[in-house]
Amino acid sequence: MTPIPLGLLWCLSAGTAAALILAASLVRVRRQRAGLRARLTLCEEQNTASLHGNTELTARLRATEAEIRHLAGARLPDLAMALAHPHVPVRGLLDARFAGSETDHALTAVLEQVSVAVAKERRRVDAAAQSTLRGATTTIQALLYQLQTALQDMQHRYDDPNVAHDLLAADFLNEQALRRIQATGVVCGGWPGLTREDSYLAELVVGAASRLRGYERVQVSNQLRDPVAVVARAVEPVAISVAELLANGLHHSHHELPVTVTLQQGNRGVSVIIDDYGVGMHGDELKLAKRLLSGDEDVLLTELGDPPRSGFAATGQLVRQYGFGVHVEPSPYGGVRAIVYIPGDPLLTVLDESRKPMSVMAPLPRRSSGTQDRSSTALPTRPTTPAQEAVPAAETVHGTSPPPAVAAAPVEQTDTPDRAGLPRRRRREPTTEFEQRPPHTAQVPPRSPEESASRWAALQQGTESGRAAAHSDPPRSTEGNPLS
Amino acid sequence: MTPRQGNRRLVPAYLATGGRARPSRNTFDRLSLLQHAGMPVTSDVRPEEHRILELLRPGALSLAEVAAHLHLPVSVVNVLVADLVDAGLLHARVPIPEAEQLDRHILERVLDGLRSLKS
Repeated sequence: MTPIPLGLLWCLSAGTAAALILAASLVRVRRQRAGLRARLTLCEEQNTASLHGNTELTARLRATEAEIRHLAGARLPDLAMALAHPHVPVRGLLDARFAGSETDHALTAVLEQVSVAVAKERRRVDAAAQSTLRGATTTIQALLYQLQTALQDMQHRYDDPNVAHDLLAADFLNEQALRRIQATGVVCGGWPGLTREDSYLAELVVGAASRLRGYERVQVSNQLRDPVAVVARAVEPVAISVAELLANGLHHSHHELPVTVTLQQGNRGVSVIIDDYGVGMHGDELKLAKRLLSGDEDVLLTELGDPPRSGFAATGQLVRQYGFGVHVEPSPYGGVRAIVYIPGDPLLTVLDESRKPMSVMAPLPRRSSGTQDRSSTALPTRPTTPAQEAVPAAETVHGTSPPPAVAAAPVEQTDTPDRAGLPRRRRREPTTEFEQRPPHTAQVPPRSPEESASRWAALQQGTESGRAAAHSDPPRSTEGNPLS
Repeated sequence: MTPRQGNRRLVPAYLATGGRARPSRNTFDRLSLLQHAGMPVTSDVRPEEHRILELLRPGALSLAEVAAHLHLPVSVVNVLVADLVDAGLLHARVPIPEAEQLDRHILERVLDGLRSLKS
């Protein structure tokens, strides 16, 4: 037995072992490779997908950037413009695909924030401007009232026609300045600046008209049955409102056309109806006027235009604060009809005319125009009764409806008393006056200048002829003797 | 003369005459005596003129008194009265002066006027 196979055996077993190990590792490597290859494909797929997603994201980012640029460049300026001019539209999203997305919500939130901030800032600036103006108008108004008093005193002091004429002109200018200042002050949240005592409505309306250029075109017709007066605290507010409405009427009608004012008494209050025959207002203007007159919202000075038209705005403020009503509508005459309704309960009172006489310039009520001294005759009762009965009948119908409906009532009322009353009065007045007057005229015979002249001429001719007969030439001094 | 009402006036004086203070005739002063002419009052008489006529219906008053009653400046009432005299609704008379107030100048002017009547 030789030991050779042992060595061989060792070698063989070693070789087999190595081969086995190699085979095993080969299998492992192969498996690993397959795994790696699969991972590689997966990775590549993922890579492609992510690349694709990346491009999409970039596009989306671009679009979002464009959207933001659009917001900054177009939508925000639009918004700023729309806040100042409500009819300007604000553009929407640039890319409709964003609608409803997070981006859309975010951008809308930006717009809302900006609009809130701008509105707040506008109100702040406006309030600052208003308070400045309010301070200034209060001071100026007080000074103008002092000037008014001074001018009034001077009017009573100086009789010279030329001086008086200039004083009246200065007074009128002062009144116009006062009206402007007062309306501006009221728009800026100030109070009317003056408290008066209870004043007759007729007086108040005439006083309001006197503050305006062209007041001579205002024709006031007083249909009040009682001496109705406005309570102290509301006198100036109502006067300002009536003055502003009259100013609109005067301004927007031809300078030869009248602006008629009717004072109409109802069951629950009194209406001042202002009719002009001018160009009227179109839909937008009426809408704005109604909005301002309702007095529901705060007025911004910037809303009133340039130069600011403060009339309706001031009236709206006063309406809200003092509780009377103002209504504007197209007039059946083509112009504008404005109605100031003053409710009787808190704002009206009746004064005793003997204790507090009405101003001489106030229009006389229909009933008393020349009827006082004719009360003994049966005539004046007839023309006044139908007019007086017609008014309560029409008013009770509207008495149940809310105050604004009073606007409709005076339309027929203003016409009927005029037509029923005036022609009769004109026809009858002279006859009654003449019936009464003869004894009075007999006492004081009026002597016309011509009559006097002829008498004196006759006297002089007689004297001359007498002197001529006496052939005397008397000196001038003796001629005066018989007179003295 | 100044009517001192406790309250500020609501209706200014210029409204009565539409701003005029120069009367159509220059013959009146504060003491001119005004008298109702007894003519019927027509419907176109303005409220303030109506008040003057009402005021003068019982008897004569001086211009200054009328102004005081109406709370209006004399200058304004002067214009109103001049208008009414023009319309024949009022008679106005200068106050009859005292004898010693007659001066030569006035008499001479009267004389000149009488002379001019001749022609």
